[in-house]
Amino acid sequence: MHSRPSALPRRAFLADLGLGFTGLALGAVLQRAAVAHTPASTAAGRPHFTPRAKSVIWLFMNGGVSHVESFDPKPMLTRYAGKTIAETPFASVQDPQKLALERLVVPDANGNQRNTLYPLQIGYRAHGQSGIEISDWFPHIARHADRLAVVRSMWTTDSNHGAQTQFHSGRHQNDGDFPTLGAWVHYGLGSLNDDLPQFVSMGTREYWNRRDGHYLGPQHDAVPLRVDPAHPLDFGRPELPVSPRDRETSLALLRSLHRLREIEYPADPALTARIASYELAARMQMSVPGIVDFSAESPETRASYGLELPACREFGMQLLAARRLVERGVRFVQIQHGGGGAGAWDAHSGLKANHESLARAVDQPIGALLGDLAQRGLLEETMVVFATEFGRTPGSQGSDGRDHHIFGFSVWLAGGGLQGGMVHGATDEIGFHATEHRHYVTDIHATILHQLGLDSRALEIPGRKRLEIDHGRPITALMA
Amino acid sequence: MLPAPFPTVPSRISKPFCGVLACLSTLFATCLGPARGAEPGASEAGYTSGVKPLLAQRCYPCHGALKQKAQLRLDTVAAMRRGGKTGPAFEPGAPTRSLLWLRAASADPEERMPPEHEGERFTSAQLEILSAWITQGAPAPDPDLPEPDPQQHWAFRPVARPAIPPTRDPTLSRNPIDAFLERARERRGIRAQPEAPRLTQVRRLYLDLVGLPPTVEELERDSSDPAPDAYERLVGRLLADPRHSERWARHWMDIWRYSDPFGLGDQLRNSQRHLWHWRDWIVEALDADLPYDEMLRLMLAADETHPHDLERLRATGFLARNYFLFNRHQWLDDTVEHVGKAFLGLTLNCAKCHDHKYDPIPQVDYYRLRAFFEPYHARLDVLPGEPDLTRDGLPRAFDRDLDPPTYRFVRGQENRPDLTTRIQPGVPDILAFAPLLIRPVSLPVDAYEPERRPWVLEAHHLAAQRRVEAARTERNRLAARHPAPASPPSETPECLPESGPAQDLALAELALQVAEAERRSVEARSQALRDRWNSANQNPASSHAEAVAAERAVAVARATRAAALAGQKHAHAETPQRETAAQELAKARETLEKARLAVRAPVTGQEALTPLPGAAWTPTRFADSTKDDPSQEFPRSSTGRRTALASWITDPRQPLTARVAVNHVWNRHFSTPLVPSLFDFGRKNPTPLHAELLDWLASGFVASGWSLKHLHRCIVTSAAYRMDSSQRDAADRLALDPDNTLWWRRPPIRLEAQVIRDAILIHAGRLDLTRGGPPVPPAEQDQSRRRSLYFMHSHNDRNPWLATFDDALVKECYRREQSIVPQQALALLNSRLVLDAAPAIAQHVADAALRLSPEMRSNSDATFVQTAFLTLLGYRPAAAELDAAQSALRAWRTAPPQTDPTTPGVAHAADPAHSQLVAVLLNHHDFVTLR
Repeated sequence: MHSRPSALPRRAFLADLGLGFTGLALGAVLQRAAVAHTPASTAAGRPHFTPRAKSVIWLFMNGGVSHVESFDPKPMLTRYAGKTIAETPFASVQDPQKLALERLVVPDANGNQRNTLYPLQIGYRAHGQSGIEISDWFPHIARHADRLAVVRSMWTTDSNHGAQTQFHSGRHQNDGDFPTLGAWVHYGLGSLNDDLPQFVSMGTREYWNRRDGHYLGPQHDAVPLRVDPAHPLDFGRPELPVSPRDRETSLALLRSLHRLREIEYPADPALTARIASYELAARMQMSVPGIVDFSAESPETRASYGLELPACREFGMQLLAARRLVERGVRFVQIQHGGGGAGAWDAHSGLKANHESLARAVDQPIGALLGDLAQRGLLEETMVVFATEFGRTPGSQGSDGRDHHIFGFSVWLAGGGLQGGMVHGATDEIGFHATEHRHYVTDIHATILHQLGLDSRALEIPGRKRLEIDHGRPITALMA
Repeated sequence: MLPAPFPTVPSRISKPFCGVLACLSTLFATCLGPARGAEPGASEAGYTSGVKPLLAQRCYPCHGALKQKAQLRLDTVAAMRRGGKTGPAFEPGAPTRSLLWLRAASADPEERMPPEHEGERFTSAQLEILSAWITQGAPAPDPDLPEPDPQQHWAFRPVARPAIPPTRDPTLSRNPIDAFLERARERRGIRAQPEAPRLTQVRRLYLDLVGLPPTVEELERDSSDPAPDAYERLVGRLLADPRHSERWARHWMDIWRYSDPFGLGDQLRNSQRHLWHWRDWIVEALDADLPYDEMLRLMLAADETHPHDLERLRATGFLARNYFLFNRHQWLDDTVEHVGKAFLGLTLNCAKCHDHKYDPIPQVDYYRLRAFFEPYHARLDVLPGEPDLTRDGLPRAFDRDLDPPTYRFVRGQENRPDLTTRIQPGVPDILAFAPLLIRPVSLPVDAYEPERRPWVLEAHHLAAQRRVEAARTERNRLAARHPAPASPPSETPECLPESGPAQDLALAELALQVAEAERRSVEARSQALRDRWNSANQNPASSHAEAVAAERAVAVARATRAAALAGQKHAHAETPQRETAAQELAKARETLEKARLAVRAPVTGQEALTPLPGAAWTPTRFADSTKDDPSQEFPRSSTGRRTALASWITDPRQPLTARVAVNHVWNRHFSTPLVPSLFDFGRKNPTPLHAELLDWLASGFVASGWSLKHLHRCIVTSAAYRMDSSQRDAADRLALDPDNTLWWRRPPIRLEAQVIRDAILIHAGRLDLTRGGPPVPPAEQDQSRRRSLYFMHSHNDRNPWLATFDDALVKECYRREQSIVPQQALALLNSRLVLDAAPAIAQHVADAALRLSPEMRSNSDATFVQTAFLTLLGYRPAAAELDAAQSALRAWRTAPPQTDPTTPGVAHAADPAHSQLVAVLLNHHDFVTLR
């Protein structure tokens, strides 16, 4: 190691070794590359206890999905439609004490309360053996009701779209920038496949924060992947023509020049890392385009993901790519739907048209993904998460929208050793507050880490002590 | 069944957790794992290794040297035995009768220590450590030293000028830096590496001081100069080189959080438009070697100290950058945090929610520091020649509110201000070496009525004139096409000629009339303003009346044109839109009629004139995210608070400023700082190993008049800087000091993103050395050949190529990451930047090879390879490297040509095999490394 005071966090060490970014996380590298300088802390790169899942597919709906029109039916909204909350039996939800968790970043002179209840814009039906009620906007997901663990009692604190970042990092944006869940998983677990990046993101993330690693270092940022076979990876292929044979000669020469340089600069970990980075780059360059080449998939599979339907095509390709990635051992695939601006699901007005069309874009691909994973036996070891930054107000905004709502909303998880066909937690009768089994966003993180066999407390970085709430608590009720 | 991974947590924070807790995190930096529990029988050792560190982490902030709540100290066993208000902390042998254990273990949050919101509960394993030690009778080690007095903390003590230590072998020292380091090495019996080869030293100096590699000629010349002071003279030349300031500006921009404006879509939310003026000021200030203390004073308060001086006002971009559209607290939090970190090495932000846990900074001090900034806001001033602030303008700070209240926020929560006490500006007691003098500054009239600046009216006039000329050009262009005279249909403007060209001409004529009316209005309003300003010897009333008339004429001209356009639209409207068009036309006619009537109205003297602004406040939306907060006039004075703060920060008695600055500079020369925590010189950080060297540099820096160039010269002429970075023949030292804490070798540096890109361009002969100006927008960056410093750089806009090489984050970048990741390999192997540059570089190398070895009539491969290594990597290849390169050249040549010869990348004079070799060397570790 060149001149690092040994007290520096491990990430600095890794940053120099440079072997973390695409999956040679920690221990995995240290063991494989037999680098002598093992950091004092844990045997990272290996789970802390027996894992139930290997990979995560993280689907994030940007803008805020209406919980009351997706996974948490509230007929009272229809019954009391047009009444102010104060006029209903549920007036107590607006008790200021109960509203105090909100942390405003952007003022809203209209007040964040939308007082007039807005009726449900879509019907619900019970599905599967479990009879979980799911709105009619999500018929394909509903077919897998018995595979879902729906959590109807989420809460967060940022009433604006900074909550997107908050859902990934567990921190309100006013607290600063913190590593996201995917970065922690990447940091904590070794690689399952050295030819592919281990933490991949697809879709646009724009609102507040585009990075993941933060104090863990840039090598723990997600590697952006596009579902364009010609251009899946930044600088993934030569931007001007280079013949493969010339390239081969070039890489061979580079390898020998680097080795020869070790004579003048022996025991130089940066040089060692540089050599390794070229090996890995070459393997990535070979492997990544194959991920988004769907020609090997059967026509039925392609059709099931909606690849032929303009509405679902893009998201369907991302999900199919996600399946191919986890099949090859990639740890964490993070897919942003509707990213850009505040997020497509942000239905301040025209909620019905908005959600109807967005649900059409995501429902069939997600249904296909769940079915496909299950059929291949991958669902047992893959957790699929459907999340969004917050729900939407029970009251109407304008004539036909709903505003941001942080006090109660829904997410669901499936696979990865969790129980299916269950509903956990509840909101009150108008979907205002999470009332039973309340969960802050980091409880979802803790659940995922737990299933991956990680104890987030064992991943601490010296000098970056995390709080109780950062770690969250695994929702054991969901576990099979 | 899985083992339960998490112990049951009895209580958790269910209320809104707040930013408060964010910085508590550092309090428990190195937690004791449960594995390190009490070792029975290891009595005092158990205290020293278990109990004492635990108490230090969890209890000392309130019961140690910093504070003695309830008159209790827990930092020695004797102090615990003495106890505090409620008696001794323990009863030997009886944990359950010992307050220490009882309070830590209590289930009652009211009872429990640390108090809620102040720290986490002791874990059961930690309680076990306490209990075991008390059970053993609470044995004490000897000596049992108390926590040192915060006053004695190394960084809070005045900077003394340490004596230069004698060393055994003075030939190893080139300057006192080396004497300090050599003495430390002598003590450990460690030998320094020899000096690096001259070639390496020269390449190092160029890249470090000007951020660009030397040409091969410069490299040859400077490394073979036989003069004894050749190196020093090269240093002098490079420090005087204007490119030096661009290189080092980027370093300071990292530290000072430079960011071009960003927001959501077109909405500006953060930083300021045209913030590049501040960047240019940094470049120019470094070029002129403006004293560092003066730089800080200008950045913090140039608007108070130099309100007339646009050049210096640019410095306050430092403050304007923190603008945040929606939230004042976030804005001021950023300001306080980074003034503290960047200038003072103080983590003031840790005291936002509670008293600082390590440093003598009570929570109220955070708000006292915030109070210095409470009055300031951001605005754009009109610059000569451009009145349109969307096109250019000077972003700067100014005091907008002269007596804004500052309140302490309970637990840092912005919705819980403690309204009982208004907090006044002030500094932490421990650093209050002199009374703080805050004197309000009365501003010159230019500052609060910036339209009086001589160039402002001129700029408005010039812009009006430009619009007239543009309109006239357009009119003339159309007139040339349609020579028939077009009588402007001014009375019935909607009755335009029917045919296309005639109609266009008539509209252009109307547009010209508008522009001319506007110009006359600008002139008349300017005159009215000037008369008002000099009202002693003029008659403002008449010029006011003229200005009013001119504005009315503008209204008529505009309404005339609008009516013509409405008439045109109506004439062409299809049936469905015809009715709407008719309504619009009627409305336009009505407006025109009113405007015409208004011309005839008498002038009362009360009419407000459309202003000709000299500046505009950057509006905020603190109250409502959908509309701007109300604007107000610029105050006639400034509070003087920031001037006072700046004097305190730059006072030679201030122990932190110079130390922090030299540590930044040292770090940027060596990639390894003398004080590892660049932004935290607080008590959490023990006296650094080379504290005397730090103080010697800091005192010399102040004595030199805070000259950065002096400091650079001092550092780069040291033997430490010139040393080899290799670990060759150093197994002994690697074993003794693997982390190089004694500087027995120079640390190599992975070059910064900007340097790598600039180097590629300059080697290709393509670097555009134009200085300053607006940033290169993202869409133009691929084609741009400007230095990377000038690329648009914000939270939202980061160049993807530069980002691959750990480009600075605008939120905080006290230190650049130096990652080595496969994405960098892909960027260097595949990007157009590299592939396109390689042939051009190959051509330059071939030309240089011919110049350097004129005897080689044919440009032999060997000469080419040698010259390419020297040019790109800064060393001469060994025989094996030469062989490898030459055989690769042969391999490329024997390959059948597969590339399309018309491709731009390969359409060049250079030998394609040579280009291939160059591309390989651009991927070489040494190309991106400062050896």
